[in-house]
Amino acid sequence: MDENTVENRDEQDPSKSSRRNFLKNIGLLGAGVAAGAGALYSGDIFEKKKAATGESRVLLTQDNKLVEVDSLELKALSKNPTKLMLEKGREGIEGRRWVMVIDLSKCRNARRCIAACQEAHQLKPEQYHLNTLQMQDSPGTAPYQMPKNCQHCDNPPCVSVCPVDATYKRGDGIVLIDNERCIGCRFCMAACPYSARIFHWTAPKDSDKHHGEAYNVELNVPQKLGTISKCLFSADRCREGKLPYCVSACPNGVYYFGDENEDAVTNGTTKETVRLSKLLRDNGAYQLMPELGTKPRVYYLPPKNRLFPFEPATDESPKEG
Amino acid sequence: MDQIINDLSHHIRLNKGFFLWMGFLALAFLACLYAYIQQLRYGLGVAGIRDYISWGLYISNFVFFVASSLIGMLISAVLGLIGLAYVFLYARFQSPILWDVTVITTYFVISLLLLFLPMIPDMAVLYKRFANLPSWLKPVYKVLSLNWTDHPEQNRIIHRSIYILLILIIPAALSIHTVTSWLFALTVRPGWDSTIFGPYFVSGAFVAGSAAVIIAMFFFRKNYKLQDYLTDLHFNNMGKVLVLVAFVYLYFNINEYLVPGYKLKRADAVHLKELMSGHFALTFWLVQVGGLLIPIVLMLFRKMRKPLPLTLISIVVLIAAWFKRYLIVVPAMAHPFLPVQHVPDNFKVYSPTLIEIAITLLSFILVLIIITLISKFFPVIPVVETAKEKGLDPLKSNES
Amino acid sequence: MKKLFYILLLMVITLLRVEAQNPGWIVPDDQKGKICLVKFTPDMVKQGEALYMKNCQSCHGIPTKKNFAAIQPSPGDLSEPKAGTQKDGELFYRITTGKVPMPEFRNILSEDERWSVISFLRSFHKGYVQPDPEKMAASMGKRIRLTMAYDTAKKKIMVKAVELTKNGPVSAKGAEIIVFVQRYFGNMQLADPKPTSESGYAGFDWPQDFPGDKTGKVILGARVNDPTGSMQEAIVRDTLTIGLPTNKPSLTDTRAMWSTREKAPVWMILTYVLAVIIVWYFIFYIILSVLDIRKIKQIKKT
Repeated sequence: MDENTVENRDEQDPSKSSRRNFLKNIGLLGAGVAAGAGALYSGDIFEKKKAATGESRVLLTQDNKLVEVDSLELKALSKNPTKLMLEKGREGIEGRRWVMVIDLSKCRNARRCIAACQEAHQLKPEQYHLNTLQMQDSPGTAPYQMPKNCQHCDNPPCVSVCPVDATYKRGDGIVLIDNERCIGCRFCMAACPYSARIFHWTAPKDSDKHHGEAYNVELNVPQKLGTISKCLFSADRCREGKLPYCVSACPNGVYYFGDENEDAVTNGTTKETVRLSKLLRDNGAYQLMPELGTKPRVYYLPPKNRLFPFEPATDESPKEG
Repeated sequence: MDQIINDLSHHIRLNKGFFLWMGFLALAFLACLYAYIQQLRYGLGVAGIRDYISWGLYISNFVFFVASSLIGMLISAVLGLIGLAYVFLYARFQSPILWDVTVITTYFVISLLLLFLPMIPDMAVLYKRFANLPSWLKPVYKVLSLNWTDHPEQNRIIHRSIYILLILIIPAALSIHTVTSWLFALTVRPGWDSTIFGPYFVSGAFVAGSAAVIIAMFFFRKNYKLQDYLTDLHFNNMGKVLVLVAFVYLYFNINEYLVPGYKLKRADAVHLKELMSGHFALTFWLVQVGGLLIPIVLMLFRKMRKPLPLTLISIVVLIAAWFKRYLIVVPAMAHPFLPVQHVPDNFKVYSPTLIEIAITLLSFILVLIIITLISKFFPVIPVVETAKEKGLDPLKSNES
Repeated sequence: MKKLFYILLLMVITLLRVEAQNPGWIVPDDQKGKICLVKFTPDMVKQGEALYMKNCQSCHGIPTKKNFAAIQPSPGDLSEPKAGTQKDGELFYRITTGKVPMPEFRNILSEDERWSVISFLRSFHKGYVQPDPEKMAASMGKRIRLTMAYDTAKKKIMVKAVELTKNGPVSAKGAEIIVFVQRYFGNMQLADPKPTSESGYAGFDWPQDFPGDKTGKVILGARVNDPTGSMQEAIVRDTLTIGLPTNKPSLTDTRAMWSTREKAPVWMILTYVLAVIIVWYFIFYIILSVLDIRKIKQIKKT
């Protein structure tokens, strides 16, 4: 009804009507030009392709498929790479639920995992995404070494309290931090019962060198002063189908990492892949402080039948850098 | 009538004392501002807080300001949370910080209105009848008095507005303290993971707030010569209020420490031991006994509710209230569930740095500056109300 | 001089200790002679380097850098003569079988991959000459072809091994078969290796609760496990729809306290928004009505 009246009014007003027609024509013309240009452009690309074939590149797509692309079809993304990675990093890898298993009977505090992690994430010696702790549950029980990282909880208390969605949980279970958005309130640190989070109190390691580099949210690199960082389950490596930095670096076969949906975890040292459910069942796996209801994605196998005797850590604590 | 106006408003002038005091504040302000600039430049590393004890003086101070409902809390909020704009841009409804920012803003606006509305008739009267009103303040008073003529309709609007505000401020005040307590109670940390943290903080705020009011009363009475208007009776009554709220606070303290202390769950046990006989024991007992128990006992005596002793007691209570916030914030962070290992020593024990202390002082200086300015430019005690209580009609006598 | 002496003494002691703790890792004689059947190429060395960095470097360090892990028994730098003087077959055997704490790479690297790692190591060994594969052709093993199928009735994966002889294909008996399933970070061995029967078949129980993709598809593989080197490597891969269809929802599908703002619990959004609207409605109402005070004066005047 309304439309009708508008139509009528337009027809009664010749100036309006003509203006409308004019706009219409412009639109048509524009579409025609665009189509023509598009055709010309694709033709041009086709020509170029014909001219220089053979130079193909193998690329990894977002859904982890290898594709072969002619190098001519590749063009730099006009979008800001930081932004692009931020968007990609918000979505997990579809159909996956990452899970880590830590076998305490094999840990002898070699700290190779820590070194690899700190190297990858540009951390100072006193900054841990992953730390090996000397544990003793009660005076009567034996001490053991326990690697402890972010537990990537399914009910993450740190994410609940974040005021700005800077830390978030992805569909594949990983809890990430967007350092570009973090306001540095440190509420997540206060909320985490596993002390998994660190803060950049002073300028991050080599911050001068990395200044201006595109920020990769799946690696938290370059690190940013006044923001939070923590274990990311090496989200960047998971995307490439590689095991996390710490898992691959362990010389003693402590770490297993895999996909709960596949019911499989792969040992980082032996590269042996085993069934997750069987590994957990056969070894009496447990989780850290499950009574808090955080639903961690990290499992621990108890330190029984140890491969190495317990040795208290002798290394000095690092100085603040 | 003129005498009342003079008595209650003669402080509105810029004398030598004012300039000296403001000069001192400005100097201190600049010194502390330097510290703050250092922090902006080099990051929070200039403070003593580190990965485990990541909330220190700043948050303790913020909680203290919220508790004593000082204007400084807003400043403190800004100091503590740089990038406040972000909070509103990406605000998550689930985060207590959003609630806190919302509640503090609301409470601030309501407080400002409650401060301003009763002052409208005063400013109209002073504009017309107070000869000593500094000339540069006259246009300000003229604008802010909103053409007040004591018209019945105007009175009706003011009274109704104040009435609504007084109703609004009750839930707002309860919310501000409760939500601030939730910044802690909504985590699982031993020492914070408590269901009574809301009322605990509300009652604590009553104690700190009452003590602050008594100190301010004493100060204005002394400096602005208001003995006839802020009488011993006022102090006596405020003393009674303080005793009452301190008792309530004591009651919540007993609950807060006895209940986990009876069961001694592992993490709670470590926390309580650190408080009562460990690293924080001296502060803890000074605050609990010296800052709460002894003041309660003293204030039971009428003599102690005279202006001077009551003010001294209030000062002690207010200082203890500050340290109480420190004891709520810091020890709970010093002992997380998992051991603190392989980190530098300054990560394990918290000691505030000079810069951190200076920045904390900065917020206090700002509060003092704001209070000084407000009390120098506006009447501290409502003139018209006092006059009407004494059966006088300021504007009418003006017309006659 | 004295210092040098001490260093030498220390080295001798260390060596002795290593020897004492490592009473020998004996390679069966019939394994020592095994050689690579193709000539090492630069490409192979390159592939070997990549594999080495991924699988070996964490313990053995980068060759010639002597930055191997400080564990006992010492992994050692593989560019040193200790490895250099070993025969190809010995290196191959050690990589294949492993010895605690060194993992066995039997199921991690294919034979070709193991050889390329050796080709990479050999690039550091001065004076090494690769045995001529041509001459050794006689020692080539049997040629085996594998096929794989799922037996629905027996719930078994049946692998058939066929030997390709001069006279045509013949069922291969006694070939040790390994079945593995492809997972995200590597292949999972299904059960212990099994020899083929008289008819060339080996059957593997298929766990009925094994997760596949959304439609139940699983990528399986089977290969001949051949520690004696009497057979050439044979492998078969296939996609079978025999897994449990697994389509678990994304972990962020539900509304939760920890979710993003858009997925906050409904009651929380409502409570917050309503509370803010109600309180600020009154605040704005008061501000507007207070501003009305000015107008009253004007009305009075006019």
